[in-house]
Amino acid sequence: MSYKKVQRMTGAMRINHWVVAISMIVAIVTGLYIGHPYYQSFIADPAVDKYVMAWNRLAHLIVAIIFDVSSIVVAYLYFFSRFEKPYKKLIPTFTNIKEFFDVLVNLITLNRVKKFDSSHADSFNAIFFFVFHMLLVWMLLTGLQMYVHGLASGMSSIGEWWPAMLHLATDWTVTVTGGTFMDVRISHHYTMYAIIAWIMFHVYYQVWRTIFWKEGDINIVVGGNKFIEE
Amino acid sequence: MIEKREALAKMFSAKGSKINTNRGAEYYDSLMETMKKRLNELEQTAAASKMSITSVLEAEGLDRRDFMKWASAACAALMLPASFTPLIAQAAELMNRVPVIWIELQDCAGNSEAILRSDAPTIDELILETISLEFNETLMAAAGHQAEEHLEEAMHTFKGKYLCVVEGSIPLGMDGLYGTIGAKAETFKDHLLRVAKDSAAVVAVGTCATFGGVPAASPNPTGAVGVQDVVKGKAIINIPACPANPANITGTILHFVLTGQVPELDHLNRPKFAFGYRIHDNCERRAHFDAGEFVEEWGDKGAQNNFCLYKMGCKGPMTFNNCSIVRYNSGTNWPIGAGHGCIGCSEPQFWDKYAQERPMADTHFKAPGGGVEKTVDEFGLGLLTAAGIGIGIHAAASVLAGKKEGDE
Ligand code: SF4
Repeated sequence: MSYKKVQRMTGAMRINHWVVAISMIVAIVTGLYIGHPYYQSFIADPAVDKYVMAWNRLAHLIVAIIFDVSSIVVAYLYFFSRFEKPYKKLIPTFTNIKEFFDVLVNLITLNRVKKFDSSHADSFNAIFFFVFHMLLVWMLLTGLQMYVHGLASGMSSIGEWWPAMLHLATDWTVTVTGGTFMDVRISHHYTMYAIIAWIMFHVYYQVWRTIFWKEGDINIVVGGNKFIEE
Repeated sequence: MIEKREALAKMFSAKGSKINTNRGAEYYDSLMETMKKRLNELEQTAAASKMSITSVLEAEGLDRRDFMKWASAACAALMLPASFTPLIAQAAELMNRVPVIWIELQDCAGNSEAILRSDAPTIDELILETISLEFNETLMAAAGHQAEEHLEEAMHTFKGKYLCVVEGSIPLGMDGLYGTIGAKAETFKDHLLRVAKDSAAVVAVGTCATFGGVPAASPNPTGAVGVQDVVKGKAIINIPACPANPANITGTILHFVLTGQVPELDHLNRPKFAFGYRIHDNCERRAHFDAGEFVEEWGDKGAQNNFCLYKMGCKGPMTFNNCSIVRYNSGTNWPIGAGHGCIGCSEPQFWDKYAQERPMADTHFKAPGGGVEKTVDEFGLGLLTAAGIGIGIHAAASVLAGKKEGDE
């Protein structure tokens, strides 16, 4: 029995993965503080030294921007990646639908019926990640909608186009979530939990694959490769 | 169907809350011309009310200087250059030329109270006294058939010219029978439609009239809605808040006197001069918010030191209104100044979604899909627990299945 090494993620893709992962943790930790400040700052300090909420918000907004940029890169790669174009796995063709269910059935039957090619990213994986990217886009839109409330004057340090564009791009989230600014916040908060649940499943599934497929899947995100039986 | 289409159209045409405070000399020059012309015209017409601002001010012991001070403040509030101050003063003097019909629907009369019952009325409030209130159910002496006749007469005389001010929500449940008025039991809805029809513009005052307010809170037994859900095809100005700030009512009417038009409105039809800015951005406790200094409990050390009220449920960060700048009762104080968080009373659905003494993350909202009220965090933790249990079962089953296979 011999194994062949296959590349699954390029260096850039892996860096992107870990940047997103770290940003995610920072966003959750700071976001929970913004939603409900869960620790107290030291009362003895004058306000100018501590600035706790402001720092939390700064960190939250900075990782949000990193997210946004990474999302734009990922969206671009969906269509134009030279390595692997994920959108091809999202189109509901017969092969893709079959592959999706083959992988799903194998997961549910605890790895009893592994009848698909596991050397490349499969349709199940593609759809799973697509859901994640959609959740991120939703966070981006609702987040920017809340952010633009602070720019009521219509001005910003980078020009008037910025708040104007944000209104244009995100005002509809108010209507869609229920008509008030509060609904946007509630939705942003709920979606965070959906994303945490997604992460839990994602980590579990990668470990599970590594153990049961016996192809070294966990190395995809570290070294970029996995192994396929020949 | 039509409602859905409207909602959809609104979704893509939502006006931003951008406020333009400097539109250039050309704009203001032409605006001044329009206003001068309009005021001249108004001056020619007969005063509809015998009250004049000069006599009212005199009675209160206020002099011309106080009045001019007020005029320059009002000018700033309306976001006009200082050169407009004399026009504002003139407009205030001509306020008694604009007939107003004020109708009272499903509400507590709190807005009327806010204007009329202060023991030291501000000039804003005094000016409202001089407007020609042709009809006001709460104030007028007439009753019954006499009152109805009076309304008919006012509507007829000032057809197309009067401002229709509405206070209170409109119950639509049970064919509107939750609220009727007059000997013929005219429903509030019909009453409103009749009066609004021949008006120059409709001004919805207070949150009940604008968005349904407290009567429309869940479960909304009377099917209460705001004026804009009933009256269509009319200029509607919403002045929400509970109660609406008299300064904003005066400002809106002033604007109408000056230009004959409604002021610039935001996506909820609220005048931008009053509802363009967020409470949180002009709050005196904002430094404590940024510092993470919060009141944790009523009356604690933080409360004594005027810390931020966010953790006591302040909704300033999601509420647009000018209370933090204009304040109430002659600028004496306002809720946050007095130590209670903002309850978002100028936003739609405020009673269900804003008015809680907890931050958003700890508030009991209806969970998605209805059912028991939960906080967002409770719901989220439930979701995560479910996900954890699912993963645990799958992991355990996988291990067991793997073992069995190994045994075979
Ligand atoms: S008291 Fe309310 S409006 Fe003021 S800074 Fe705190 S959260 Fe913002």
